[in-house]
Amino acid sequence: MAYHEAVYDEPLIFEYRSGTTYKLPGLEGKQKIDLPENLLRKELNLPEVSEYDVVRHYTRLSQMNYSVDLGIYPLGSCTMKFNPKYADAIASSRQFSEMHPLQLQSETQGELRILYELQEYLKAISDMDAVTLQPLAGAQGEYTGILITRKYFEVKGELDSRTDVLIPDSAHGTNPASAAMAGFNVIEIPSSENGTVNLDALKAALSEHTAAFMITNPNTLGIFEDHIEEIAKMVHDAGALLYYDGANFNGILGVTSPGIMGFDIVHFNLHKTFATPHGSGGPGAGPVGVKSRLKDFLPVPVVGKEGDRYFLDYGAKHTIGKVSSYTGSFMVLLRAWAYITYHGSDGLRRNTVNAVLNTNYIRKRLEGRFSIPYKTLKKHEVVISTENTGIRALDAAKYLIDQGVHAPTIYFPLIVHEAMMIEPTETVSKQDLDRFVDALIESSKLSPEELKNHPVNLPVSRPDEVKAARDMKVRWDGSTYGN
Amino acid sequence: MQSNSEKQEIAEFVGISDEMELFSDIPKKFRKTDLKISPGISEYEVISMALSTGGLNRGPDMINFLGNGIYDRVVPSTVDSIIGRSEFLTAYTPYQAEMSQGALQSLFEYQTYMAELTGMDISNSSMYDGFSTLGEAVRMAHRINEKRDILIPANIYDDKLKVIESYLYGLPVRLVRYSVDSKSGFINIEDIQSKITDDTSAIVVEMPNALGIIDENVPKIQQIRKNALIIAYVDPVSLGMLAPPGDYGADIVAAEGQQLGIHMNFGGPTLGILSFRKDYVRKSPGRIIGETVDSNGKRAYVMTLQTREQHIRREKATSNICTNQALMAIAATVYLGTVGPSGLRKIAETTYINSRKLKEKLGGLKIAEKQQLTGKPFSDVLVSFRKDVNGLQEFLSTRGINGGLALSRLSSGAASDVRNGAFFSTTEKTTDGAIAKLAEALEVF
Repeated sequence: MAYHEAVYDEPLIFEYRSGTTYKLPGLEGKQKIDLPENLLRKELNLPEVSEYDVVRHYTRLSQMNYSVDLGIYPLGSCTMKFNPKYADAIASSRQFSEMHPLQLQSETQGELRILYELQEYLKAISDMDAVTLQPLAGAQGEYTGILITRKYFEVKGELDSRTDVLIPDSAHGTNPASAAMAGFNVIEIPSSENGTVNLDALKAALSEHTAAFMITNPNTLGIFEDHIEEIAKMVHDAGALLYYDGANFNGILGVTSPGIMGFDIVHFNLHKTFATPHGSGGPGAGPVGVKSRLKDFLPVPVVGKEGDRYFLDYGAKHTIGKVSSYTGSFMVLLRAWAYITYHGSDGLRRNTVNAVLNTNYIRKRLEGRFSIPYKTLKKHEVVISTENTGIRALDAAKYLIDQGVHAPTIYFPLIVHEAMMIEPTETVSKQDLDRFVDALIESSKLSPEELKNHPVNLPVSRPDEVKAARDMKVRWDGSTYGN
Repeated sequence: MQSNSEKQEIAEFVGISDEMELFSDIPKKFRKTDLKISPGISEYEVISMALSTGGLNRGPDMINFLGNGIYDRVVPSTVDSIIGRSEFLTAYTPYQAEMSQGALQSLFEYQTYMAELTGMDISNSSMYDGFSTLGEAVRMAHRINEKRDILIPANIYDDKLKVIESYLYGLPVRLVRYSVDSKSGFINIEDIQSKITDDTSAIVVEMPNALGIIDENVPKIQQIRKNALIIAYVDPVSLGMLAPPGDYGADIVAAEGQQLGIHMNFGGPTLGILSFRKDYVRKSPGRIIGETVDSNGKRAYVMTLQTREQHIRREKATSNICTNQALMAIAATVYLGTVGPSGLRKIAETTYINSRKLKEKLGGLKIAEKQQLTGKPFSDVLVSFRKDVNGLQEFLSTRGINGGLALSRLSSGAASDVRNGAFFSTTEKTTDGAIAKLAEALEVF
């Protein structure tokens, strides 16, 4: 099935010529504002556009945007599953969206109850003892987890010596970035020949200087770290904490949990595992769960319950403070609550099984066509390399785009050459799986020259990224590149 | 989801007879035996359950005077309609530019709007929320000049301060507080001047400030700054009327963008706005969209300057931001497109005029102190009462009014002479009738 995205030569909103038609309440005419002249705005050079032109402009732009609602989106590690519409219906209720965060707690019992129940859900899912919903994205969740680590060692009086955070070379880039932001040295641990953590290298790196080991399990190769028990023991014997990056949770949810595996801190990506829509790159939500000995370090407030009453609990003794303004990204949290409530214990587990089944179907169908590094059995995603086919991952990706498939993640993890990281999730039919695999195999039969022409069915083809960085133009200034 | 026969077919192809074989790599002792969550329910039931829980809330139909960061403004219908379009709503980060020109162009427009609004050269394509954006701004200043001291107002909100501290934890930086005049509500220029040293990285100013005041001393900062950077934390709607921070020498601007077309949402999601001077772009956090051409010479948009970001630079990245608030940035873009510059000015001026009306009305009440701050508020009106204001919010709530937030609840470092201060915030929605009702209620407090 070829894919043709709408193609418009859509100007920027700043290039529109029409007058504002929107009506606002309030003052008419020019007001006298009794403030010193130097405090007043002289000009505001923004476009006056009619309401109908605004709607047409952004409707056309939306039609030049691929999304989950249009088709398969096997973007590895991003877990692009279907975003259920009942969650949107719930989130559009004024009862939730028109609430102010500084209202009295007696007025916000509904919001607090949702938050409390979501905390309980996430505790049950992860087997952790306490959860904060405050972080506004997975990466902010990581940062929160690392701040908790830092504060934990500060309170223990070991912060001066606990200077290192260990991270596998296959890790998401946010892990080293978060650890470095909090002032830790980042030490990379190489992977072994089967794609899991190299235990000897880990052992050599662990010391009284280690604050934490951050890993995701399954890892970014879609492989379950089966030595996790040994890893947890080694890390804890060194006096360090074990951090769980929840980005790949969809591969194990309901089957095992970070708590059972011995992790001390975990962050969740609600826009991944719990299907909240990702909005072209946010908002997300990155709640953090901890074991009881770290409970007192969580940011304040968390939601507590006393009898039938829900309340904001500011009691955490060693709290790291706060990482965002209020209690988290409520509308995202609400959607995740709806997703978990709808699926329930049975549905959540079934989703995981189906996601893993679909991944292994892709893996098996691609075997022999593409090299599939490391161990065979995959969890939520499979990483292939296009190296043996003579085509580049980038070119294969651009070919897939013409076939109505969002391209997989490419060139990640960094340890696989010409990597394509494919994550189908549970919400894709066998028909779509086959269509995707067929298209990928087809791409490998084309010559690099043929592939260079793709995509052809989209509004633009192969934008010049070097020019974008070199001739940096990041706002409209009346001129335009291109024709 | 597969049909059962398809599942069977797939399982056979994969070569498993039992689905648990898919998890044979997970040690048996680690298998989760119970998940203490109720079994699934139908769509009808989950919606009913959610709405009945929402029914426990009280607020949407009350008269609202709460603000101080999140405001009850008009959200044009265009905004919900556009950001509700699933092509924007259910897309991921635009990693494949060809498939994502819609989001990329919208975010490029957002960057232009924010740069123009703040009077800066550049804006990134969004941060999480106002507080964490200010935290990132302070980190950015330290990255630029590697100096130690950050000067901040003594009365900055406690929660904002806590977030900044979180973003500084682990950096060799210290926060130095400067004072605020408790008669006018303006920042104390002499005090700031006395605290600037060769080791001052940046001066943080707020406009309007933590007392809600349009601070007439803020523009004076540029004369005394020496080599320190100026970081301005602003109200983006006020910029429809007030001079942009670029006019008074700001190098970095941080803001909470919720009121640009985003519902109050109980405080999330909101929108972090970060704008800055061009010279500092390589030290800036977050994602940036750039214009370029495609292979046919056609205008195209891509994520650019990614060599600063964590998927390339990893531990040397300028921030760990990956998911940002793209949809909220698109909301702000549609909002500004809909209301236009004349609309934004009108919204700002109406808010300001309403706050003056409110201040006058409440300041004249018997219960109010004779002496109120002389500085003019933009939206958040701080009223000083002759009576303890703890319990005021509860009292008003019983009369169907939200407001009267005690100053002490927001800022423990507040100007100490402001006794029994409580906030009432206005927007373009505030009516004379609502102000009259509020005054009536306060008469009997």
